[in-house]
Amino acid sequence: MKKALTSVLMSSVLLASAVGCSSTSSEQQSAAGTAAPAASSKSEATPAASKEKKQLKLWFYFEGKERFDKIASLTQGYSKVDSSVEVVPEFIPFAEFKKRLSVGLAAQDLPDIVVIDNPDHAAYAAMGLFADITDKIKDWPDKDQFYEGPWKSATLNGKVYGIPLGSNNLALFYNKAMLDSAGVKPPQTWDELRDAAKKLSKGDIKGLGFSGLGNEEGTFQFLPWLLGAGATFDKVDSPQGVKAYSYLADLIKDQSVSKEVLNWTQADVMKQFAAGKIAMMVNGPWQIPELKTNAPDLQYGVALLPKGEKYASVLGGENLGVVNGKNVDDAVKFIKYVASPDVIKPFAQSFGYFPSRKDVATDKYWTEDPVLKVFNEEMQYAQPRGPHPKWPEISNALSSALQQTLTLSKTPEEAAKEAQTKINEVLK
Amino acid sequence: MRLSERFYSNVFILPALIYLLIMVGYPMFENLRLSLYNVDVMNIAGTPSFIGLSNYRALLHDDIFWKSTYNTLIYTVLCIVLQFIIGFVLALLFSQKFSLAERLRGLVMISWLMPITVTGLMFKFMFSLNGGILNEILMSLHLVHQPVEWLVNPSNSMWAVIIANTWIGVPFNMILITTGLTTIPKDVYESASIDGANAMDKFFRITLPLLKPAITSLLVLGFIYTFKVFDLIVIMTNGGPVNATEMMSTFSYKLSFVEYKFSEGATVANVLFIILFLVSLGYLKLVSKEEVM
Repeated sequence: MKKALTSVLMSSVLLASAVGCSSTSSEQQSAAGTAAPAASSKSEATPAASKEKKQLKLWFYFEGKERFDKIASLTQGYSKVDSSVEVVPEFIPFAEFKKRLSVGLAAQDLPDIVVIDNPDHAAYAAMGLFADITDKIKDWPDKDQFYEGPWKSATLNGKVYGIPLGSNNLALFYNKAMLDSAGVKPPQTWDELRDAAKKLSKGDIKGLGFSGLGNEEGTFQFLPWLLGAGATFDKVDSPQGVKAYSYLADLIKDQSVSKEVLNWTQADVMKQFAAGKIAMMVNGPWQIPELKTNAPDLQYGVALLPKGEKYASVLGGENLGVVNGKNVDDAVKFIKYVASPDVIKPFAQSFGYFPSRKDVATDKYWTEDPVLKVFNEEMQYAQPRGPHPKWPEISNALSSALQQTLTLSKTPEEAAKEAQTKINEVLK
Repeated sequence: MRLSERFYSNVFILPALIYLLIMVGYPMFENLRLSLYNVDVMNIAGTPSFIGLSNYRALLHDDIFWKSTYNTLIYTVLCIVLQFIIGFVLALLFSQKFSLAERLRGLVMISWLMPITVTGLMFKFMFSLNGGILNEILMSLHLVHQPVEWLVNPSNSMWAVIIANTWIGVPFNMILITTGLTTIPKDVYESASIDGANAMDKFFRITLPLLKPAITSLLVLGFIYTFKVFDLIVIMTNGGPVNATEMMSTFSYKLSFVEYKFSEGATVANVLFIILFLVSLGYLKLVSKEEVM
């Protein structure tokens, strides 16, 4: 009998250790989530002070200590304004981010504020992740200062679910020396662009580069063409939509664009441009510091994306979303603080963002620099992706059609038609 | 006494059983349940409704599902055939007694030890259209006039990932066959020689039959490892271009975590599971038969 008892004890000990393992592993994971070293040191440094303070959690996915410190400067700045609340930033890797949010939503384990990629905002608002703060910011005068594109990306069906944090967009980079030696001026229309790209292509060197990946990044790069042709994401098989696809297919057929763009990320595009393998590229302002590291002596200029039917670009950037929960009021106060001109201006400058607010955008920092002012001007043509709660599915249809076109495995008409069928399925 | 002995043995199984139930059984059950509901982005926090086998039925009409199933099968079969043949030849080569044989065999293992992410990135560079080393070599040998569109042409990209995975899997095949070879007693070969058998006879009448158990487990394990390929594909092609290398695993992942159709993703994962489950059952049956013998 004694023996039996021991073995039961033994097994329960084993069992407890097994279960213990599984629960600690999830804790470890969240600790690993705050991988930026400053995260742990900071939260350790202030246990006494935070005892009476209400803690709000902020999730973001910007990598690196530098960017963490910039986010931390926002939260620390806020604790000087409001001493009753402490906002604790927590880093979640981008690859994990959406998974953590979806899983967290089902498991009711969520932060209070989320820095979110703007096309995802509507999807998560539809999931019920974000609180409707329309009434809470009704009397906030600053709300009219935002550009329409960024502001729209934080809304769903006319309701507001957050505030834009910062924006960026795409424009055309060109290699000055290469354009000069080919006797080409920076193109301003689609026809000029096609012509210029043809003249600039010689053997291994191609006139133009962009990212044609079969994912959200590819859609991001494709949208300016679609919008510039005069189409919208819900009317892809219109003559305008087909034109956008066939224009890009023509660039491939002209051999002005390498088929390799199918596998290029935007960072790859930047590296090709830095190496002088492509004369022009479609890319965003976040590549500017990288470009400097990769090719310090490269002389380049930036122009608006050439005009098709109209000027168009795509809106990138992040929004601050307020998570549905018991801390909504405090969270709204915090995001209003972050979005205020005095706070957002230095933050946007140090972060490589373009202001989502018109009043901040008039600052000389963005209007006098020859490169930044182009992106700043492009801001008014920048349209958000969606917003639609099922944007990821729409995006998938658009980028599959893009790949079919660029591989020349389907005609632009067929590809656009197939994409439209899928999109109709989503929109119905 | 007999009874309490049985009781003991059951008690000792208990921890493992409970561990398996929690860590393996629960996710499997949950995945099955998920596939019978319509959980997606709109209702994950609300109340998804039970829709029975609709997800499975819908899958039957999904072109990409069939494409991914076909791709996974082709990929698995071709990879295994190539890995097995090359691995076998290398195992025979290194079982010869020549200097450095041991060391070289160790070196071949490197491709198996390397993280797949690294291998994937490396092959992505080697296969690139302009400036990729493979195209440079083919061009300078004048074997091709135009660079081969390895990863950007839907009809070539499958070969590119198969080549990469074969490189990864060869050492695994080689080492298992090497181990099998060492279990064959030398005197069998000796007596065969006395009976006048030549090298071919020895290979087909001694080596192959005696290696049969090793070969079957190798092929089944290889099938399971290869069939659930994920990381290599994500790194090299991400299923593209135009779904040319879409596998069941990547398709399931994309449905769940790119398009947020959680139930549909779970459905594909379950089909993948069923296929592997059947293969494993067959394997267990084979193994138990061998053990009885």
